[in-house]
Amino acid sequence: MTTELHDHNGLAVLDGLISHTTTQGIPTLYAPASGNEITAGLFFRVGRADETLATAGITHLVEHLALHRLGLSDLHYNGATANAYTLFHVTGSEAEVVAHLNTVCAGLRDLPMDRLETEKEILRTEAAGRGNGPFSQLPLWRYGAQGYGLSSYNELGTWSLTPEQVRQWAQTRFTRDNAVLWITSDHMPEGLDLTLPEGRRFPAPAATSALPVTPAYIHGDDGHVVFTSVLRRSTAASVFADVLGRALFQDLRQEGGYSYSAEADCSPRDAGFATLTAYADSLPQKQDAVVGGFVDTLARLRAGRIEQSELDSVRTKLLKMYDTPDLGAASLPSYALSLLLGHRILSPEQHKAELNAVTLADLHEVAREAWDGGLLQVPGQGVDWAGFTLAPQYSTTAVTGTRHQSLEDDRVTLTIGTEGVTLTTPKGPITVRYDACAVMTTRPDGARSLTGHDGFVITVEPTLYRGVTPERTAFLDSAVPAEAVVRMPAREPDQIPQPRKQTSTAGSAGTGRSTWAWTAGLWLVGLLAAVWGLLCAVITADEAGAAAPEWDAVVGVWILEIPLALVTWKLYQARKRRRG
Amino acid sequence: MSSTISGRSTGSGGPTFDPYDNTPELIPLRTAAQAGHWPAVRAFIAGLDSVEKVCSASSLLADIAGAENFLERAVTELPGDPLPRTLLAHRYVYIGWDIRSGARAQHVSRDQFDQFHAWLRRAEQILIEVCAEQPAYAPAWTVRLMTARGLQLGQAEARRRYDRLSAHHPHHYHAQTQLLQQICPKWGGSWDAAHGFARECATAAPDGSNAGALVALAHIEHWLDLESTERGAYMRGLPVRDDLRFAAQVSVLHPSYRPNWNSIGAHSAFAFAFSLGGHFADAAPHFAFLGDRASEFPWDYMGDPKASFLKFRKSAMEA
Repeated sequence: MTTELHDHNGLAVLDGLISHTTTQGIPTLYAPASGNEITAGLFFRVGRADETLATAGITHLVEHLALHRLGLSDLHYNGATANAYTLFHVTGSEAEVVAHLNTVCAGLRDLPMDRLETEKEILRTEAAGRGNGPFSQLPLWRYGAQGYGLSSYNELGTWSLTPEQVRQWAQTRFTRDNAVLWITSDHMPEGLDLTLPEGRRFPAPAATSALPVTPAYIHGDDGHVVFTSVLRRSTAASVFADVLGRALFQDLRQEGGYSYSAEADCSPRDAGFATLTAYADSLPQKQDAVVGGFVDTLARLRAGRIEQSELDSVRTKLLKMYDTPDLGAASLPSYALSLLLGHRILSPEQHKAELNAVTLADLHEVAREAWDGGLLQVPGQGVDWAGFTLAPQYSTTAVTGTRHQSLEDDRVTLTIGTEGVTLTTPKGPITVRYDACAVMTTRPDGARSLTGHDGFVITVEPTLYRGVTPERTAFLDSAVPAEAVVRMPAREPDQIPQPRKQTSTAGSAGTGRSTWAWTAGLWLVGLLAAVWGLLCAVITADEAGAAAPEWDAVVGVWILEIPLALVTWKLYQARKRRRG
Repeated sequence: MSSTISGRSTGSGGPTFDPYDNTPELIPLRTAAQAGHWPAVRAFIAGLDSVEKVCSASSLLADIAGAENFLERAVTELPGDPLPRTLLAHRYVYIGWDIRSGARAQHVSRDQFDQFHAWLRRAEQILIEVCAEQPAYAPAWTVRLMTARGLQLGQAEARRRYDRLSAHHPHHYHAQTQLLQQICPKWGGSWDAAHGFARECATAAPDGSNAGALVALAHIEHWLDLESTERGAYMRGLPVRDDLRFAAQVSVLHPSYRPNWNSIGAHSAFAFAFSLGGHFADAAPHFAFLGDRASEFPWDYMGDPKASFLKFRKSAMEA
């Protein structure tokens, strides 16, 4: 498979449109474009999906460090870290582009590690400013806290990555064998020095799944309806995405007037599969109609009621893209990405032929595939009524171990076991097993937050559970694999959570019984305390009236009263707390 | 069985609310359904000359216990036909609603709600497919207004469904009465919306249609929702009376009005509404049309529908 990537026979179909060569071992595509400036892109087959939750951000960090030496250049350049690739991109004169690419590769060969902590800080700031868009949660629900699901998460590695880890990542993933270069030029520029270490081509990571049943749904923010699915990459799949986008626009905006935006897009995930994303926004008072219209539009396409005119107009639009001047140059990034991912390469003629061959039956099949693997994010109430199953909210298993009751809610118990951690709640358990732990973040105050590969999270706050001693925390630290641990800095004291008022559970049989026992205990000890107190008072009065009072005896009897009164008071408090 | 000739026979034992007594043409449908004879049911419905009649037939079938058995078989035999699927979904909605009962939400148990919703979801998923395949198929959209209400999918979604239906069938009385329920306050709507929709239906419809009865039904719902001390005053008020008069004149009292399967329901609404307000002279022509026939709704809003009907009719005939 990987040898085929370097097989230039795959590229032969592009002869006359795009030239190809290798540059210091890097497969290179180039084609002329009009204008004085040229654009180049250096792709690496590494991205967020290759990371783990504990190392999340390592690719982004390498990208930032490699670009650091370029400083305040006037050149139009950028770096981008996606799920399955990283791209360095530059536009300028030939000499400027050569100098830029040479500097990027020099940076990759020798990352400025003195910048590491600063760049980590910059990435954390960048993430804080980025916010969460309407699509941000879907990957983690589909894939879990690994692979393609990691784009839902913060770059936790920016807290813990060591220079050695970052260097190692650059040396193994940013290699000449894991790269593809493209340049919009009719010749290869002189003076390129893109020396990179030897390595191997990493195929895009295999997809994981956190959805036992599809089509599934999750709840999301008001104002947004999002549908994603996974499709086998094909010409029909990309046509379908456009047909779906137009159908949503027609139904939700033009006919209904419920949405302003309604669109769909299909983008490659790896060599074989693409991610379909469809989106519609809505006003809060219209969002139930947007959900309804969205469901009905998907149902219409799934039922195969697709008009020939819908197919024809999308086909015309896609065919028109081949009318662009500088076709070769314009299609370089997508050909380079196909080469990088190991996806088949079609000449424009082949692709046009495929477009012309797409039938309504093909679209119908894609529509069914889209539905079958669908994940819908809706505002407001659920969509069980439309045949979607709520994505798992609880784990299917629980572990045994030491039990720690919540100080906020009697019905919630944390269990720290030898195989994992379980949070037992009235609605179901949440479990993170140590051998399936994507990350455990730690705080100096003893807090530990464990995220499973399936995306479930348990936060162990010693302040919120009974008996989470430093010994239990130390046990967690020894149980979780070291590579999954991320040490976070100390929190401000007001950031450490304190138990809120107990949630009342009055009325349940269990609570009733225990209050009864406390009441009985209170009466018993309280009566004893009262009787002994009375006796003390009598003795005191008696002695006070005596000719020679024995004050030491009086003090002695009173001292005995102290523990009785104390226990009475404690019982009273405990009973009151249990009654909520 | 009561007279099938309009009105006049006021001396009998009282009205019948039985739809088959009131519209004897429907009796073969009941006979076929009770025998589980799908081909006869199908032939009967195929012979109907309007989509309103198909919807009436669908409602009656949905109320026949056990009809789901032969309908489920029909769906298997005719997977591409929208009719058996719609009839089956309609039956599921009735099964669900019978479990829920007509009580206000606070009197329905958790388990009843779960079963109710489960039946409605089954119905809805069938209907999503039918409407996806046949977007102009009014009987399916009409039932989807009931599932939307029972599953509490929201005001905007119910209105979307009605709009999708009315794009093909602009004055569909069955659907209008369903949406009217949805936009009353008891299902999350408002009186402004309910009266507005009723007026919109009445004015948009051609003269001599049933749509004017929506105005009466909206006032009846409003009356029902008021405190008992305010009810009489509301219906006696001149604005309501004038509203009803205008609506009756453009609809069931219009010279171009032709009786149909919804006429008994529409005249019942006017007779009921005018009588509640003491406008017996206005109620008289409606009672005259009804004779000994009446629809269950809205008469079942009274404790004793039969006695109320007789009492009101007597007052109307003396007025």
